[in-house]
Amino acid sequence: MQKAKAIELDVAVVDGVELSGSWNRMFEPRAISEYDIAVLDETTAIPGAESLGYCYQCGKCTAVCPVDTVGDYSPRKIFRRTQLGVSLVDSPDLWLCTTCRNCLRVCPKEVNMIQIMPAVRERAVLDGKAPDELLTAFENTARYGNPIGESPRKRAEWAKTAGVMVPVMAQKKSPVDVLWFVECYPAYHPRGKQASVALARLLNALNVDFGILGNEEKCAGDSQRMAGERGLFEMLAEHNIKMLSKYTFNHIVVTDPHAYNAFLHEYPKLGGDWPVQHYTQYLAERLSALSFVRSIPRRITFHDPCYLGRHNGEYDAPRRLLTALPGVELVEMGHCRETSYCCGGGGGGMWLDSFTRDYTSERLSEKRVREAIEYGADILAVTCPYEVPRFEDAVKSTGNAGKLAVMDIAELLAYSVGLTDEYAAN
Amino acid sequence: MAKADTVLIVGAGPAGLEAARTVAELGKRAMLIETKDQLGGTPYAYYATLTPDLQETEHSMQEILDAVEHHSAVDVRLNTRVVHSEGSLGAFHVTLDRDGAQTVEEVGAIVVATGFQHFDPGRETQMYGYYEYDDVITLVDAEKMFKDGNIVRPSTGLPPERVAFIQCVGSRDRQIGNKYCSKVCCGIASKQSIEIKRMLPNAKVFIFYIDMRMYGFWEDQIYWKAQEEYKVNYIRGIVTEIIRKGDKLLIKGEDTTMGRPMEVLMDLVILSVGMEPSKGTVEMSRIFQIPREEHGFLQVIGGPLNTVSTPVPGIFVAGAAAGPKDIEDSVSMGASAAAKAVGALKRLELEVR
Repeated sequence: MQKAKAIELDVAVVDGVELSGSWNRMFEPRAISEYDIAVLDETTAIPGAESLGYCYQCGKCTAVCPVDTVGDYSPRKIFRRTQLGVSLVDSPDLWLCTTCRNCLRVCPKEVNMIQIMPAVRERAVLDGKAPDELLTAFENTARYGNPIGESPRKRAEWAKTAGVMVPVMAQKKSPVDVLWFVECYPAYHPRGKQASVALARLLNALNVDFGILGNEEKCAGDSQRMAGERGLFEMLAEHNIKMLSKYTFNHIVVTDPHAYNAFLHEYPKLGGDWPVQHYTQYLAERLSALSFVRSIPRRITFHDPCYLGRHNGEYDAPRRLLTALPGVELVEMGHCRETSYCCGGGGGGMWLDSFTRDYTSERLSEKRVREAIEYGADILAVTCPYEVPRFEDAVKSTGNAGKLAVMDIAELLAYSVGLTDEYAAN
Repeated sequence: MAKADTVLIVGAGPAGLEAARTVAELGKRAMLIETKDQLGGTPYAYYATLTPDLQETEHSMQEILDAVEHHSAVDVRLNTRVVHSEGSLGAFHVTLDRDGAQTVEEVGAIVVATGFQHFDPGRETQMYGYYEYDDVITLVDAEKMFKDGNIVRPSTGLPPERVAFIQCVGSRDRQIGNKYCSKVCCGIASKQSIEIKRMLPNAKVFIFYIDMRMYGFWEDQIYWKAQEEYKVNYIRGIVTEIIRKGDKLLIKGEDTTMGRPMEVLMDLVILSVGMEPSKGTVEMSRIFQIPREEHGFLQVIGGPLNTVSTPVPGIFVAGAAAGPKDIEDSVSMGASAAAKAVGALKRLELEVR
């Protein structure tokens, strides 16, 4: 690993080519000649963005901001740039935050990016300043009920390949114990569908009385909310609450930590108040009912999803499931639990891949994959539907194909219980 | 024995007032000497409001002023200075001068509470043009305007749109000879910035600092309050010099979190001048033979565990005469010095018996 230099050089040698950095001083004056405070005042006047003005420049956030390890960005810098008159609404900085919540965890002044980002982004979206690819995801969600642009009529297609009964509430016409809110990537993405099949089989093996909304389900919308489309979020929430209200069930189990966050904190405000569990929490309570028949003699490391861990405090349920797997050696990465790194998909990051690439040296998912390999893992276990595709791409793009498998915990469990035949590409 | 029952207190600021009150409450007599014609000391004379609670000074201090003035055991001597002292613990013979009329008083113990004076920003390497530019003022000058309920650019008499505070003027500077932090200026600047924003909500107020030193509760009571509620802009990086540009002032320094030079126009610059030993403090050091510690303030012997006993038996110090102090510390020291002075007299009584 190359060590960082204490002093930035005027001349850097990159791949043998000398690059001079001093030329840019011909274009920009060095001295700061104005603090246009109006910009900071305007920004902090946006409801939700008040705490941006609280920053006293300690820099604790910079050390834990995943984005600053790959780009010149951190909440401290956001405050300074705004104080210097750079409008956050117009700045690419606005779209780099993945709302991973690591800055808020350490911020002594409680500068709350989890509120600032959606608030300022909402303004930018209204002003027509959101990146095109994000708008595409918004449009897809509005039109099809999912950000990927898949047909809403095919939302339950995956269930046909499950090999077990996956009852759809509209057809079942009777109350269930568990309403499984599947979400978009588990319903449409090829790897997401595999995890859904695994989870469906696990629920069947546990004799769970469950049902899904099928085509009546739309995206839970939490990431769209964090990305600045509160109106869209409310529309989706209203729809889902209306559909859910038609049926009788005891509680909701979700696949997606982002949906978990929405059901836990946002839907109740809009009238949708049901007990909700992430599927790892639900399964961890029923571990004793699972009989494991296959060993997985591998080193597994676990990536805590931001919205399950830091946002909602659940670190143990996924680990209880992983340590129950016969043969598995669980190794923790340096960044784990509260200090977990971010996959880059949250807060709209899932739909800003090209945009983000212009401002960062590598994807957050790539950095995370390197860490998993550094800690000697054979399998990177995940439990957020954004992560399987993100990390699998990162394994390939970092040249580690074949060295690290990325598996949803549901897939690992289903294999070990004997419900599926494969657990990893290798 | 009756005369030894008196404790002489020199200086009627917060420390001296509290010392006088405490001596009286402990059953001894206090003789309170003040060179000015008014009790209250520097805060009362120069500050419109107190830090950190922003209460009006005259109103806040009325209670202690009344307590001292109306206490039968406190002998208040205004317009009076100490000019000479002989004797020792139990029997100091102190010469007082009032308008040239001298008297000798016998007192048992002495509390020196002669305080500080504000640093003169025209001195040494301070390149802020205090004596050249009308619109470069000090915290004290600003307080004078606050007493009239306004803040204006002295050059025009109009309210400023952009105000900069410069911290650490006269403090923390080896070349000036003041290596210490004056302790209260960060708080006072923050307090003043709140007051300016209250008077001029649209003014842009900046505080340029090396380190913000907001002790204890001042952190959230004034610093956070100024930043979060009053939108005062704290910029890390001190101003080196000020240049006239048109009818404005160009302040030059480094914005250290950006790592770039900073040259910004201001309408009004307020220098956060620090504390130095007052003339009275220096004078009392000479008259009472109290050694001065390395920063020039009166020396105490107990380090952090005894903040009021000087090397001279029977002579105690309270408040900013012993080094930069806020009012809370000065008042606490006043009571502590009084208790120790009364204690010294009581021990003498026991020895006599």
